[in-house]
Amino acid sequence: MADEFNTEGMLDMYLFENEQLLEQLQEMVLEQKDADCFDEDSINEIFRTMHTIKGSSGIMMFDNITAISHKLEDVFYFLRESHPENVPHLELVEHVLEVEDFISGEMEKIKSGLGTDGDPKELIEGLDQFLNKIQGNENASEAKGLPGNVHEEPKQFYIAPVASSASRFYKINVIFFPETEMANVHAYKVVYALKEIAEDILYSPEDIIADESSAQTIIEKGFRILLQAQASEEEIRNIIGVGYDIDKVEIYECLAEEFLQGFEFGQGQTSIDLVSSVEEIEAKNAVAAEEKKEDKIAPGDFVIKPKEPGKPKKLAKDKAKSDKATFISVNVSKMDMLMDLIGELVISESVVMQNPDLKVPGLDLTNFNKAATQMAKISTDLQNVIMSMRMVPLTNTFQKMNRIVFDVSRKLGKDINFEMVGENTEVDKNIIEHISDPLMHLVRNAVDHGIETDEERLASGKKEKGKVTLSAKTEAGKVWISVTDNGKGLEREKILAKARKQGLLEDGKPDSAYTDKEVYQFITLPGFSTNEQVTEYSGRGVGMDVVVQNIQAIGGLLEIESTPGEGSTMNLKIPLTLAIVDGVVLETGTSSFVVETGLVKEFVSVREDMMIHEPSGDEFVMLRGECFPVLRLGDWYGLKDYKRSVEDGMMVVLELDGKTICMFVDKLVGKQEIVVKPIPSYIKKIKGLSGCTQLGDGSIALILDPSGFIE
Amino acid sequence: MDEIGKIKTESVASVKDGHDAQKGMYMTFLSGNECYGLKIQYVNEIIGFQDITPVPETENYIMGLINLRGKIIPVIDVHIRFNREPFEYNDRTCIIVVDVKSTLVGLIVEKIAEVVEIQDENILPPPSISRVDRSQNKYVYGIGKVGDSVKLLLDPERLLNDEEQLVVEQANELMVDGE
Repeated sequence: MADEFNTEGMLDMYLFENEQLLEQLQEMVLEQKDADCFDEDSINEIFRTMHTIKGSSGIMMFDNITAISHKLEDVFYFLRESHPENVPHLELVEHVLEVEDFISGEMEKIKSGLGTDGDPKELIEGLDQFLNKIQGNENASEAKGLPGNVHEEPKQFYIAPVASSASRFYKINVIFFPETEMANVHAYKVVYALKEIAEDILYSPEDIIADESSAQTIIEKGFRILLQAQASEEEIRNIIGVGYDIDKVEIYECLAEEFLQGFEFGQGQTSIDLVSSVEEIEAKNAVAAEEKKEDKIAPGDFVIKPKEPGKPKKLAKDKAKSDKATFISVNVSKMDMLMDLIGELVISESVVMQNPDLKVPGLDLTNFNKAATQMAKISTDLQNVIMSMRMVPLTNTFQKMNRIVFDVSRKLGKDINFEMVGENTEVDKNIIEHISDPLMHLVRNAVDHGIETDEERLASGKKEKGKVTLSAKTEAGKVWISVTDNGKGLEREKILAKARKQGLLEDGKPDSAYTDKEVYQFITLPGFSTNEQVTEYSGRGVGMDVVVQNIQAIGGLLEIESTPGEGSTMNLKIPLTLAIVDGVVLETGTSSFVVETGLVKEFVSVREDMMIHEPSGDEFVMLRGECFPVLRLGDWYGLKDYKRSVEDGMMVVLELDGKTICMFVDKLVGKQEIVVKPIPSYIKKIKGLSGCTQLGDGSIALILDPSGFIE
Repeated sequence: MDEIGKIKTESVASVKDGHDAQKGMYMTFLSGNECYGLKIQYVNEIIGFQDITPVPETENYIMGLINLRGKIIPVIDVHIRFNREPFEYNDRTCIIVVDVKSTLVGLIVEKIAEVVEIQDENILPPPSISRVDRSQNKYVYGIGKVGDSVKLLLDPERLLNDEEQLVVEQANELMVDGE
């Protein structure tokens, strides 16, 4: 096992990092999808993200990912440098999302051990066209702002390490002999040599490789370099060297401010804006940089779109950044192990505390008890911490849904608002993994089937925009997630008709005998779709049954509410699972059971004369004038040696879903916080049991799920 | 890509090497009068008998759940699984924890015998003279000879799963293969 981890560590890391990057990217893009354009920070961020992905994919030799991220990097490089106006923002958003999808898709393939065989050609062409378009918009007046090989350059500049305070700044002018041929190539050699020591470098003319005419300029005016490095003048001189081609090297040390101002002589040229890459200098010389920016706005030139000052978003972002630094990622299986061990610790602690050896009369346990209390406190804290470690907010999952609404609604041409409520609700990590798919189906359904087209909405007199609301809350130890739309709602008649066609209705039972709830449940059956046409997103009848299956697999429930003409709500009720549940421990026969405290209304001792026995065998108990059905736990599960007489045992009154039942058990043991564990999957699902747990003495108790008792 | 592929095959190979050391080793135990063998790769550990929490509404051979250092695992009684009379648990009774396709299950056996090495050439297919007897042989995939004695070699997958379920699974696999 360990070997496997080691050899694939690099790949794992690659996948993990890029997944995170893509997630952040998507979040950022969606956050600004409704804006007119990306703000400068985001452009830089997207550029950097793509650059990182490109780099790491290159190392891992996933060529198609490298290619596509490279292309997108180009686009953002252009945006970053030229600040073009009139960028079709939505189109750009789509391009970014497409690229993100492509890379995610490829990474999925890598994960499942397949090769990266996706062909990014189409996407790249699309991006090329897009780039041409925005360049065309922008550069009509400006002479060849950025040459075709633009993508070579970011490589050079971005690998440059962050400047340190020991850095010195130089202006270098290399003058070649006039008869030198292909001076541009020689100049490139100089740049190449300097790159070894350069923390930052820029030069003029810029496009020395692609543009052969630059050779002429170099010879006439000299080759100018701005260099930031820790080396001394002498060292630089040595690196450049004076060969057969170089006539003279002039080196002047200069201040950071001057350095940032770039080439005074470079005005006709587009000099590369390095400000964003040398953040430290920027901080030091914010004023200088500002001046420089203003300098740059010449008439007829492009206009820099500064980030709107005082935008609260910026503050929030800064904060998020500093938070991120404090995260580490841990293998989930290690967490599980830790969790199990802490559970064991708590148990062995109680074994020590309640050790019969301590019960010897006459022992002075004052000090022991003090120490024991301290230890109990620590172990409780430990348990709480590990629990909270596993809890993750639903934010990311919800963000993904935002994306889906965006995609689907645009493709279908529907104008839809998406609202998220309670996305900070924390849920166990395992649960999050399991609800992502079902939620996606539900959201997609809401957008595709739920919300009508704009014309239909108009026709039915609906004024407000289509709206999909995703909300989450915790209640009674469960998470409730609901997807609400204000669309047309479910059509009872249509569903019934379809159900009849598929032979799902009982013979002779009139339609009116089915409750709305029952009718709506039909749509969760396999192969059931009322959408007449199969669209790209739904209508194939696969979906709702998968949703229900997935939700049930984690012990959840799906409830459907709908009002014709006003919309429908899909409610998911999902257990928090690993969260600690407050439980009441009960005993019947030789078995222990636990029932969630929240479900228990009261405990009652009843007398035989309060019981009502029906001839059919059903039993009821009269409590304060009300009659409740009785369930004998021992009977239900066919246990041995349990108490028969109601006067010997205890009635537990349980209330759920508005129904009340009395469960008869032998005795109550006590209240306890329990860690819910699933019953091993090897044992098939048992009605009325939702899991198991360990009690204080290490023995196992079964957790009752009374909803299984109520049919 | 190629490199990754290579790394993968290497890691697989190293795992195989690990198994090679255990190849031909069988954990044998007594149940009734017979001596059974289990490939040692399946065996995770052997623990003494401990209290079992019964689970209602399960197959009769699933005795319940035990707590294995915080992990809750089901245990089955091999004796009952073979349709024999239940036996009294005593201090010689052991639980063999087996790991079959990442499912941990405890097997209650009367007595652990020893670990023996059985070469492939000493393993014969189970005799299937009478077709009536087939149901009893369904868990035994071979008979291993060790000196004069014979060990019935068990297929733990068949031991754990119901036959019907297995048939379904096999059918599924066939369908997948067919595609």
